[in-house]
Amino acid sequence: MRIGLACPYTWDVPGGVQVHVRDLAETLIAAGHEVSVITPVDDERNLPPYAVDAGRALPVRYNGSVARLLMGPVSAARVRRWLREHDFHVLHVHEPAAPSVSLLACVLADGPIVATFHTANPRSRVLTAAHGALQPAFEKLRARIAVSEAARRTLVEHLGADAILIPNGVALDSFADAEPLPDYADGPPTVVFLGRIDEPRKGLDVLLAAMPPLLATVADARLLVAGPGGVAGLRARLDPLLRSRVDLIGLVSDADKPRVFASGQVYCAPNTGQESFGIVLLEAMAAGTPVVASDIDAFRRVLDDGRAGRLFEVGDPARLAAALAEVLTDPVGAADLVRRGHAAARAYDWRTIAERIVGVYQMVSGDRPVSVAPG
Amino acid sequence: MSVLVAVVAVVVAIATYLTWLALRLDRLAARVADARGGLVSQLVTRADAAAELAERCALPGLAASAARARAAHPPLLAGSPLDGEVELAENALSRSLRAAAVADAGQRCPADLHAVDSAAARVALARQFHNDAVRDLRSLAGRRLVRALHLAGRRPAPGYFEIDDALSLRDEPSPLVAGVSLAVETAPRPDAGDPVDEGGRPGLAR
Repeated sequence: MRIGLACPYTWDVPGGVQVHVRDLAETLIAAGHEVSVITPVDDERNLPPYAVDAGRALPVRYNGSVARLLMGPVSAARVRRWLREHDFHVLHVHEPAAPSVSLLACVLADGPIVATFHTANPRSRVLTAAHGALQPAFEKLRARIAVSEAARRTLVEHLGADAILIPNGVALDSFADAEPLPDYADGPPTVVFLGRIDEPRKGLDVLLAAMPPLLATVADARLLVAGPGGVAGLRARLDPLLRSRVDLIGLVSDADKPRVFASGQVYCAPNTGQESFGIVLLEAMAAGTPVVASDIDAFRRVLDDGRAGRLFEVGDPARLAAALAEVLTDPVGAADLVRRGHAAARAYDWRTIAERIVGVYQMVSGDRPVSVAPG
Repeated sequence: MSVLVAVVAVVVAIATYLTWLALRLDRLAARVADARGGLVSQLVTRADAAAELAERCALPGLAASAARARAAHPPLLAGSPLDGEVELAENALSRSLRAAAVADAGQRCPADLHAVDSAAARVALARQFHNDAVRDLRSLAGRRLVRALHLAGRRPAPGYFEIDDALSLRDEPSPLVAGVSLAVETAPRPDAGDPVDEGGRPGLAR
């Protein structure tokens, strides 16, 4: 099939939606489909050969994250040309409720369009207010996919439309058998954190508060923090006692991400809410690192109610420290978590997920390909 | 002069708006037509798979409902409406598929039962796509302005297709949309033999 994917957020800025679009595109291409992605990008050299530049995007705060949005005559012309040049059997837009290249593609195209909704946001005033304005674009959607139960509920409540639940996939192969980073091969027990360090809802502060009680039980434990943000600022405000125990390595490349997981004896996701899906948890499980995560809906589901990873009360450093200590000191229990984590992650393998998405494409694509809408 | 300009501007604006509404209605009608086509072809696939299973495993009850559903399919493929008669026949087939005898047949003909389950899951999806399209069309066509100006034409609004398509619970997870072969005509998958595929999942290809 010829498949067009529209990604709303800037390609070379890390984010779950971008990763989803990239992995879906690469899985589909490996399976023999023709795929083209249109996306905003800061530096065109970062684009893979299957992607097309939709222009630079304006940063806007949306749902607690910085989204990079774009809509304008230049982008509209690029989207039109992209649609005309490719003659897609299916156009698949991601997160079309934000004013982005996805919504633009949805407005400008005619024919079989599928949309995936990523955001879980129980009280989105933006969505409610925009409902009427979005209707003409959304009535073109032949199938709606939600990546999580929370995202599906958001859609039902705000737009009165149901969606099929197909979760995010994870590219298992690239996470298995990674080498630890240098200095982490067989050092003291290491806790790994991965995420933006200056975004409060990623919960790094909870983990830092859990370090002193953890050190009381596991005296030689250390913390590896990987992720973009103000590294120098964080180092300056660290408790002096923790400074020698916390390694801040900043942003890591996608290629190094599996190595970060392989460098730890436990991966910690202390998020304090508003996650629609725990993709990074699946990556850790695929890498064979036991997971300790906040007890929020999305994580509970991915961790199979706590069987494939330990859950702790959201925002509670004492409970977090206890859970980490348990995993670090009980090798049999940890091995059990790794085994079950592996099995749970496999259900989310991109090949399984992409198969289901292609099933949807086949069901909605009629005789006519996607064209540019008149008017 | 300025009055004339204003009048012309208003007339143009109204005409543009009405044209745009008519365009949306046309587009929705095309979406409903495609969704209807998809639904009919899934109903055909399900009935064919059911007939196949009934024959292989000697299930007379299932054979009868499959035959009844299939009898209605040629006119459907030719464009006759998805009416109450069709709903009754498809409902009867859904019920027969949930019979205990069918679940037991899974021991003897697992592949045939799997094919039926996949087809049934696809019928449920296709029905959702169809009814979503119908709902969007009816909501636009039901607007007072659209009705007053007959923008939707004289064709009757399409009806929802309501059948009981609840899936039978099997021990293994529901096949959902997976289980459909998406094979590319050429060459086997480059990564065939990968450990992830030990379960013998069908290929992810066109």
